[in-house]
Amino acid sequence: MHVNLDKTFPIEVPLNSAWKFLQDIPGVASCMPGAEITEVVDDRHYKGAVKAKLGPATMAFNGDIEVKGMDAAKHELQLLGRGQDTKGSSSAEMDLTAQLVETGSNACELKGSAVVTVNGKAASLGGRMMTQVADQILNQFGKNFTAHVLATQEGDAAAASEAQERLAEQPKELNGLAFAWSVIVGFFRSLFGAKSSSN
Amino acid sequence: MATSAEGITTQDPIQGIGCSRKRKEDPRFVQGKGNYVDDVKMTGMVYADIVRSPYAHARIKSINKEKALAVPGVHAVLTADDLKPLKLHWMPTLAGDVQAVLADEKVHMQYQEVAVVIADSRYIAADAVDLVEVEYEPLPVLVDPHKALEPDAPILREDTVGKDNVGQGPRKHPNHIFSWEVGDASATERAFDTAEVSVAQEMYYPRVHPSPLETCGCVASFDKARGHLTVYITSQAPHVVRTVVSLLSGLPESKIRIISPDIGGGFGNKVGIYPGYVTAIVASIVLGRPVKWVEDRMEHLSTTAWARDYWMSGELAADKEGHIKGLRVKVLADHGAFNSHAQPTKWPAGLFSIVTGSYDIPTAYVKVDGVYTNKSPGGVAYRCSFRVTEAVYLIERMMDVLAQKLGMDKAEIRRRNFVKKEQFPYDTALGWQLDSGDYHTALEKVLDAVDYAGLRKEQAEKRAQGELMGIGLVTFTEIVGAGPSKACDILGVGMFDSAEIRVHPTGSVIARMGTITQGQGHQTTYAQIIATELGLPSEDIQIEEGDTDTAPYGLGTYGSRSTPVGGAATAVAARKIHAKAQKIAAHLLEVSENDLEWEVDRFKVKGLPGQEKTMKEIAWAAYNDVPEGMEMGLEAVDYYDPPNFTYPFGVYLCVVDIDKYTGQVHVRRFYALDDCGTRINPMIIEGQIHGGLNEGFAVAMGQELPYDEDGNLMGNTFMDYFIPTFVETPYWETDYTVTPSPHHPLGAKGVAESPHVGSIPCFTSAIVDAFAHLGITHMNMPHNAYRVWKQIHELGLDKRG
Repeated sequence: MHVNLDKTFPIEVPLNSAWKFLQDIPGVASCMPGAEITEVVDDRHYKGAVKAKLGPATMAFNGDIEVKGMDAAKHELQLLGRGQDTKGSSSAEMDLTAQLVETGSNACELKGSAVVTVNGKAASLGGRMMTQVADQILNQFGKNFTAHVLATQEGDAAAASEAQERLAEQPKELNGLAFAWSVIVGFFRSLFGAKSSSN
Repeated sequence: MATSAEGITTQDPIQGIGCSRKRKEDPRFVQGKGNYVDDVKMTGMVYADIVRSPYAHARIKSINKEKALAVPGVHAVLTADDLKPLKLHWMPTLAGDVQAVLADEKVHMQYQEVAVVIADSRYIAADAVDLVEVEYEPLPVLVDPHKALEPDAPILREDTVGKDNVGQGPRKHPNHIFSWEVGDASATERAFDTAEVSVAQEMYYPRVHPSPLETCGCVASFDKARGHLTVYITSQAPHVVRTVVSLLSGLPESKIRIISPDIGGGFGNKVGIYPGYVTAIVASIVLGRPVKWVEDRMEHLSTTAWARDYWMSGELAADKEGHIKGLRVKVLADHGAFNSHAQPTKWPAGLFSIVTGSYDIPTAYVKVDGVYTNKSPGGVAYRCSFRVTEAVYLIERMMDVLAQKLGMDKAEIRRRNFVKKEQFPYDTALGWQLDSGDYHTALEKVLDAVDYAGLRKEQAEKRAQGELMGIGLVTFTEIVGAGPSKACDILGVGMFDSAEIRVHPTGSVIARMGTITQGQGHQTTYAQIIATELGLPSEDIQIEEGDTDTAPYGLGTYGSRSTPVGGAATAVAARKIHAKAQKIAAHLLEVSENDLEWEVDRFKVKGLPGQEKTMKEIAWAAYNDVPEGMEMGLEAVDYYDPPNFTYPFGVYLCVVDIDKYTGQVHVRRFYALDDCGTRINPMIIEGQIHGGLNEGFAVAMGQELPYDEDGNLMGNTFMDYFIPTFVETPYWETDYTVTPSPHHPLGAKGVAESPHVGSIPCFTSAIVDAFAHLGITHMNMPHNAYRVWKQIHELGLDKRG
């Protein structure tokens, strides 16, 4: 099944700092909760792993990441991640386009747009939560990305160390229980018409 | 309303036909003493678990077993390549197609069997399944059957490319399975051309799954020293399984023993042969050890036989008074990845041509096209006789649609078109001969019982107040008891059934049949037939089924065929014994056979009170004092080939109230009148009807197996798949009339499927009726609250204030 997601995250750093980080694929991948690059094949191809914990079940996806496009003029990155869970019962794919747009001299926006496809047991069992879960994954990605950029930027040392602390506190894997909570909160927010938070 | 007290006579020592005798099976079931396949434990037994595809359509690039084989306790990992030398990687289906036992280079559906792991325990096997590494290359997926025959549709079954026939006649596209036509197309067209009124309606009957309490499984045990294979299996047709296993394995049937022990419900799901069975049998032959395979619920819902998935369009032509002149039906049938549905060979759409229903329709035409899609294979199953549910659904919906068009009441349109009592036996336009019926009497009985006029008055008042109340009515005719061997066979074996009865010297009886009970209570009802025929107490009559080493060959239990076919064989075999007993009695009483008359349990000499011999006395004599030239013993066998099907019918009425803000449907009343001819055990009939109504309610209100656009099955757990409990289930009122079958030895017809077949369109009829005054003619199932609410919302009925 497919889920289409579009998100925008404001970042309080100059466009160029953010763009520099966006080109660092292992860095960008590490912003994805539970994800890491396990092997660099060449500058466009990587191997990666994602681990997700949903209650007592752990799903580990191993797969390939391909940089489909890197457009310096548009400050845009296109990534395709495709993997199969190590138990062979599910597969997942994410087609991600991330673009940076300048909103001020010291600020920009990260616009993320993704199509997530899930097959197998993960779709059968998790289908009805897919939109919310994927939404939360992307939210987390946005938060991590912002923190990474802030942490690595030169100049504002205080902001950088604060961001580094935030990163250190991040869970190292995709934690389903924490997700479940944010999914529930998100669900009730949408139910009562409140705007769901985007950062 | 009728009660079930009918026929309960505790004083009756015979407890024969008509007695509501308690089920003989139940004491062991309620004490947990049943013996199901998963209860079977054998020395040295190992366990199988299956690696399944996450993709609906993909090429298998590689399979790496190494990590799985390294797990301590794992004995083997089998793939299609391992089965190839034995030519067992594909198997024939009952419908003339082939099905992959383990995926051969390609997977055609999600959860398809890719490899099987054999290990010391079920847990080790499951762990090792996770370690089998399969590399797939996903292919374009075909989910929508309407797109199957398009020129650019992905071709699913590469193994059938170039074949212009995959078992059921000519086909026109690699994804096409068959076209089946019945009836007179041109005469029907003329009826429509000249009709004063005609109506048309599209409808979809969703894919549903019987989901019996017990999933499928087997224990296969090959004894290498004796060259003998024993298989305990969840099968509704053990003798057919033996024949198939023999054909597949090359072992003679005499060296194969198939045992169906207690079966936890079948409903058609346990007729087919599944890859899991075959792999367990192969593994046992290879390893020389007993192998147990029992699937879990997800595997069961995802891969074993489902039912329906028919896209139907119906048309009726009529005159202005509502007399039907013609019926035309076109169906697109989604059969999934393999054409593996279980049915008599000559009937690619089963008995769908019973679609003329209870009505005197002069001309009709039906066309069914079957296609492949990337979904699980199957069809037919689920408490109905081979596609009868779809047929009854269509004609009953069409009757309502026609009534609506004419502004006529739905009871009146039926009255005008019923086959009349005096028209039986009645030959339908599509080739069936309805054996007996009295539809008008049954209809009036129900309308009186529920005060139909009063309900319509109440509905008019409710409508005026903006409330939603619906009345559903169905007057169905079923076709059950497959079947006459001239019309029906499975793999070339005629669909007879059999009984073998032996009376012991003391007058107790052992009887064995070719059928197999899965909850129908055969051990109780067959004994009642013999009790009445022979005058021996039911309590002393032991019924055994399901063991091919002891039971006579029979085609099994499905399609409500046990009473029409197995029950008839039992009666005929008992009558053979009765005839021999009469000769022995005449010998003992030293009179001519013709001087004897039968009374309950004894032969009496006419006009000579006191001169009599009971069946018990005759049984003793059969083993020591028989007439000269007669062989000793008292036993008989009968293989019964029915002259016709039986045609039970019924009238169902349903009243619903619908909450217009939530779409919740409340079934206020459900009245079910069934006519199954002679009633053998009214209590068991009542229980079967309750069960069938529950399953009908489940299908109408919530069951479905939906697939997303990638071929992911989205409803294969009990989180999604609706199994009604007593919380949801409405209260059932039952009633009956008795119109015996003229050709059945007891006058009995099948019954257990009628309530399923009849109730499903009745729920739809009631729910659509709640919106009928707003111009709605049909709503597709399942009628869950969300879908009903959507209809309400579209009509703007949920606006407050």
